[in-house]
Amino acid sequence: MPSSNSELLSLPGHVLMDRRRFLSNSASALGSIALTNLLGGDGLLASHPVPAINAAQPYAPRPSHFPAKAKNVVVIFCAGAVSQLETWDYKPELVKWDDKPLPGGPAVTFQGPAGNLARPQYEFRQHGKTGKWVSDLIPNLAELTDDIAFVQSLTSKSNTHGPAENFLSTGFNLDGFPSLGAWTTYALGSENDNLPAYVSIPDPRGVPQNGANNWGPGFLPAAFQGTTMSSLAPIRHLSAGVSKEADVAAKALLQRMNARHLEQNPGNGKLAARIASYELAARMQLSVPEISDLSTEPEHVLRAYGATDTQSKDKAAFARNCILARRLIEKGVRFVQLFNGAYASGGKLNWDGHNALKEQYDVHANILDQPAAALIQDLKQRGLLEETLVVWCTEFGRMPFFQKGAKGRDHNPDGFTCWMTGAGVKGGVSHGETDELGRKAVKDVHPLYDFNATILHLLGLDHERLTFEHNGVQRRLTSVEGNVIREILL
Amino acid sequence: MTVRSSQLFLLGGTFASLAHAAPVDFASEIRPIFEQHCYSCHGPEKQKSGLRLDIKAAAMKGGEEHGPNIVPGKVEQSPLLNFVKGLEKDLLMPPKGKKLTEMEITLLGRWIEEGAFWPEGIDHAKLEDRREHWSLQPLAAASPPVVRLSNWARVGLDRFVLARLEKEGLSPSPEAERGAWLRRVSFDLTGLPPSPQEVEAFAQDQLPGAYERVVDALLASPRHGEHWGQHWLDVVRYADTHGFEVNTERPNAWPYRDYVIRALNSDLPYDQFVREQISGDAVGKDAATGFLVTASVLLPGQIGQDEASKRLARQDALDEIVVNTSQTFLGLSVGCARCHDHKFDAISARDYYAMQAFFAGVEYKDRDLKTPEAELAKAEAVKLAAEILELDRKLAFYAPLAKSGVKRLPVNSKMNTDRFAPVHTRSVRFSIEATNSLEPCLDELEIFNTSGVNVALAAAGASVSASGQVVVADRHDLRHVNDGQYGNSRSWISNEKGKGWVAVEFAESQEIERVVWGRDREEKFKDRLATSYKIEVAEGEGRWRLVADSSDRESFVENKAKAALFSTAGLPENEVRSASLLLAEKKALEAKQVAANNAQKVFAGLFRKPDKIHLLNRGDPEQPKEEIPPGVLSALGAVQLSVDAPEQERRVALANWIADPKNPLTPRVIVNRIWQGHFGTGLVETPSDFGRMGMRPSHPELLDWLAQEFLRSGWSMKQLHKQIVLSATYRQSSKDNAQGAARDSDSRLLWRFPPRRMDAENIRDAILAVSGNLDLRMYGRGFNLFNQRGGLSGFVPVETFSGEGLRRMIYAHKVRREPEAVFGAFDCPDAGLSTSRRRESTTPIQALNLFNSRFTLEQSEAFAARVKKEAGEDIARQVGKAYLLALGRGPSREELAEACSVCGAEGASVLCRALLNSNEFLFLP
Repeated sequence: MPSSNSELLSLPGHVLMDRRRFLSNSASALGSIALTNLLGGDGLLASHPVPAINAAQPYAPRPSHFPAKAKNVVVIFCAGAVSQLETWDYKPELVKWDDKPLPGGPAVTFQGPAGNLARPQYEFRQHGKTGKWVSDLIPNLAELTDDIAFVQSLTSKSNTHGPAENFLSTGFNLDGFPSLGAWTTYALGSENDNLPAYVSIPDPRGVPQNGANNWGPGFLPAAFQGTTMSSLAPIRHLSAGVSKEADVAAKALLQRMNARHLEQNPGNGKLAARIASYELAARMQLSVPEISDLSTEPEHVLRAYGATDTQSKDKAAFARNCILARRLIEKGVRFVQLFNGAYASGGKLNWDGHNALKEQYDVHANILDQPAAALIQDLKQRGLLEETLVVWCTEFGRMPFFQKGAKGRDHNPDGFTCWMTGAGVKGGVSHGETDELGRKAVKDVHPLYDFNATILHLLGLDHERLTFEHNGVQRRLTSVEGNVIREILL
Repeated sequence: MTVRSSQLFLLGGTFASLAHAAPVDFASEIRPIFEQHCYSCHGPEKQKSGLRLDIKAAAMKGGEEHGPNIVPGKVEQSPLLNFVKGLEKDLLMPPKGKKLTEMEITLLGRWIEEGAFWPEGIDHAKLEDRREHWSLQPLAAASPPVVRLSNWARVGLDRFVLARLEKEGLSPSPEAERGAWLRRVSFDLTGLPPSPQEVEAFAQDQLPGAYERVVDALLASPRHGEHWGQHWLDVVRYADTHGFEVNTERPNAWPYRDYVIRALNSDLPYDQFVREQISGDAVGKDAATGFLVTASVLLPGQIGQDEASKRLARQDALDEIVVNTSQTFLGLSVGCARCHDHKFDAISARDYYAMQAFFAGVEYKDRDLKTPEAELAKAEAVKLAAEILELDRKLAFYAPLAKSGVKRLPVNSKMNTDRFAPVHTRSVRFSIEATNSLEPCLDELEIFNTSGVNVALAAAGASVSASGQVVVADRHDLRHVNDGQYGNSRSWISNEKGKGWVAVEFAESQEIERVVWGRDREEKFKDRLATSYKIEVAEGEGRWRLVADSSDRESFVENKAKAALFSTAGLPENEVRSASLLLAEKKALEAKQVAANNAQKVFAGLFRKPDKIHLLNRGDPEQPKEEIPPGVLSALGAVQLSVDAPEQERRVALANWIADPKNPLTPRVIVNRIWQGHFGTGLVETPSDFGRMGMRPSHPELLDWLAQEFLRSGWSMKQLHKQIVLSATYRQSSKDNAQGAARDSDSRLLWRFPPRRMDAENIRDAILAVSGNLDLRMYGRGFNLFNQRGGLSGFVPVETFSGEGLRRMIYAHKVRREPEAVFGAFDCPDAGLSTSRRRESTTPIQALNLFNSRFTLEQSEAFAARVKKEAGEDIARQVGKAYLLALGRGPSREELAEACSVCGAEGASVLCRALLNSNEFLFLP
């Protein structure tokens, strides 16, 4: 029960708190169920313990299931499906097989007829102490491999971007399920209740293919949906654009109205929670502009991230998003999602390289590489990586062959790479393998369920115990599946 | 059993076990092994892979994948033993924790060898017969119980509630003030606050029956269906886009939304409401079957080209219909049985696929309406098409001159004009040098003389020749190119890829100035389009002179979003004016054409020959097993059709079974949903799950009694509403009291009216009602909340609303997944999944939205202006009016003083903004 910062609460907040104490001391049979109900945690079976959420402080920190390695998470989400073969999954055999048909390969894949096998479009070289092979596409990230655990044998349940982004973000192909960030903040709250617990930062070129599904609350309370903001677009409705006097007067009047109403309706927790939400909103009005103001960042930091890049405004904007992510983490925001790549656009605005893969990846990697690498290094330098998990992910991989008549690769959900680094993660590990041409995962195969289960595990959460009842089913991020990938954990 | 196992023992046993005199004892030797190693995953709490080892019958049946896991007498054939020994790759059991010791494994092996003897009656748990679950039983006969406080009860249901309160030692709360009840019931039945006139009238009406008169008026108001319609649309996850990544507009979905509103307003009996939504096409209620296809769906272009992807997408689409139907009407999560028998309820995978078979002929598509209105619209569309084509011809006069130095528009497949300086000639040749694909095709070649007459027509005596042709009966023939008829089925096709020519010889020499040509003026085909061509006129024997070609056109780009069909570039000013007028006229006609085309269709499923439905192993479409005929849930009924039953017959059969008064679930589920709408929580707290994982009813007798009353009323939802809102239970005050809070803080037992915040739509509607801006026009295409009605992303919210944007929010064009910018944060469902009950949460984002949005500020201004207009210049009167409009009461002395000083200093809109944000405004009293 979070009560540590109860001194911050206004009078109505205290009314709520007192009521809660009163209830927890009562011998009521229903009291224990009722307590979880203040924020809509209804329909809960007594046998399923759920986070006790204080409606007046939905973002107050809550205990994990077991001691957590990671306190916060940054997810770098590359929309459009990054080719494993041009990045992290080194396939020398593919060079030999270049322009030959794949024996026994499919005639038709997602977008149409398959063409011949195609060598990786970039040279690979070894990096770091472990000698990890990484392509020249991403030279800055390649420098970090000694700290990274790669899972090179992931599989998805869909070969279509929409359902597959759902699957990556929510554990289900269908629309409507809560996202990883929503589950996390539902379970753990946040370390800073002057800011949203969960921030989603869209790519400067646009929102990802599956839009709000990737940060939606699904059936969890709305408090746990990702709030979108970026270096280009601040949070909506932070101010009203009326005169300061009128604004202050309205706020003061509202406060008195609500206080009086609560006096007449004592003990109503929902009323107190709404009063508290206006207080929190007022604090956000101050803290959000402050956190988005990058003018306090020294020049060398801006340069290190690539935020001063004049060649590509997309890169500069993504770099600013990366700096924003670090600032949010510094302030204790629980979950930050950083998108790289926008919606379907024939591969022009995201990693969906069907036709002209190399040409387009040159552009995308330039935007991603330096800023993302700088973010990780910056977190490390500041000691934040000890408590922060950084995840890099994409919805599926790409085929080892080109599409017929094109210079790009089709969707491949059968074997691809994502990785993580930071708190609790073993560095310099490459776990799992695809076959020698990179067509399918063959060794230590892990459906994305396992990857998500591992993220929760690092946050001190048991993916089987983190549940929410919806329409008669105890739902989980990992459906009825999921095994923690222990090989990549410290 | 003993005999049987000893036989097995003799047949299958090995001699090692014979050395032991005493057979292994299950209770003292085997069960402890299970307890220590297995029950955490295969016991009372969890049954991974469907295996449960603490109950004999379940253990002997085994898990889903490997059952039976214990084969008495056959050690080698018993997967259980192989798993604990680690003989199966990746399946060492237990996967975590301590392995079984050699001793334990030997003991287990011996026990199986000896016949796996498991005495009856020693299990600590019992397998429940799932068919005995409460909700599957017939409605129990019940009559209102005897209560101590007998004069408190007003209607039958009150006695059930009171009896339970008395049993718990609780007493009901005092009656709410009249004003509070009026506000509560107005919001509850219509989603809008009572007007000051209604407040006044009710205060004055002291005659008996005053409460009932209010309820009758509210139920008769068209606002009722708009408000309760939203509850229904939440459950069926209605939206106006297709969902998933592309989230395309679903332009003809709204007739279903209107159907729901009309049905509720007319108090359509619920059984009929059910039937029409499943098979309304059988009774001329086409829009009703929109219910079947409310889910997100992948459109053909978004599904993989490979067959496996297509099969999976079809299964997903059918699954949504099964889930929607079973959850909405029956309160059962049948969808869980798609991959395996239901873990908790009496629903097998076979039941699931039998249910799917009812819908096996339903496609997520528009269906042509067969109503008289639709026929009229169809005729209108044909007429409009002709008028638009005529305008195109007129516009052709203003086509820029070819070879004049002005860049002309790219070619398009519908119709192109080449205008040139008038020239005398006997014949014209149209030569094609390149196409966007295949052999070129022309549907008509028109050549106009300076008097505006098409002299190329065969009817005018012209004759045609060509480089060659492919003749297809009733479709392609050279003579079609100048027969005056349009479209692919009246066209010429060359016999050469990418080239060919057509020449027209007139009856006599003509002074011509325009050639008009197209691939398909009916706009069905876009291939075979001439992208490079030249037009020449004969200048005497064998000599041709070029008058126009494609070289001064912009280059053609395939699939360009919207190719412009007309440009006024290079025209003299007077012609620009004339052309602009024509263009405006054309645009107006085209808008009408879209409307006329849409009015013929409804997104309510297209019905075709049903697919064969197979039982799918683990739900995998690539692992089909036997074919399954349509059939209802075996635990509940025996209706079964043959595998070749016609499409509509299937749905009608299912609808009749669901809407049968003897179906115990249907009336219980709807009665509970309505109860929940009034009290915030249902008698069953899980309204879409009446299964074993759902909550049991708080008042089982009341639920059954209400369900029976409901049936007796002829499934009348309005009767039920009336009964509830007039009850003493509903009339209670919502004030907290220590006794109630201590015993039942959620008020599940209804010792008071449980207070709750209004839903997102009600907040928006109520603000507009109070500001005086609410537009009460009903029905039709939804208004925009964003700058676009569908699409991948980049939805920019509309911030300032006017005109139809001020209608009730149920008439908004609902974009799946995109929360409305201000009110979406108030727990408004995103239509991804069914929302059987909205979770009420409180967030700072809500506060920011409601306090700072343009919407609130503009409506506060409008509210202030209204107050000023109605109350005059006197500030105290303005404050009084504002309180009355927003809260249905006048201000207290303290409130008046406070508000007057603020209004005096900052204007009335400050007060209005505060009122619209206040808890009193947002909560049902």
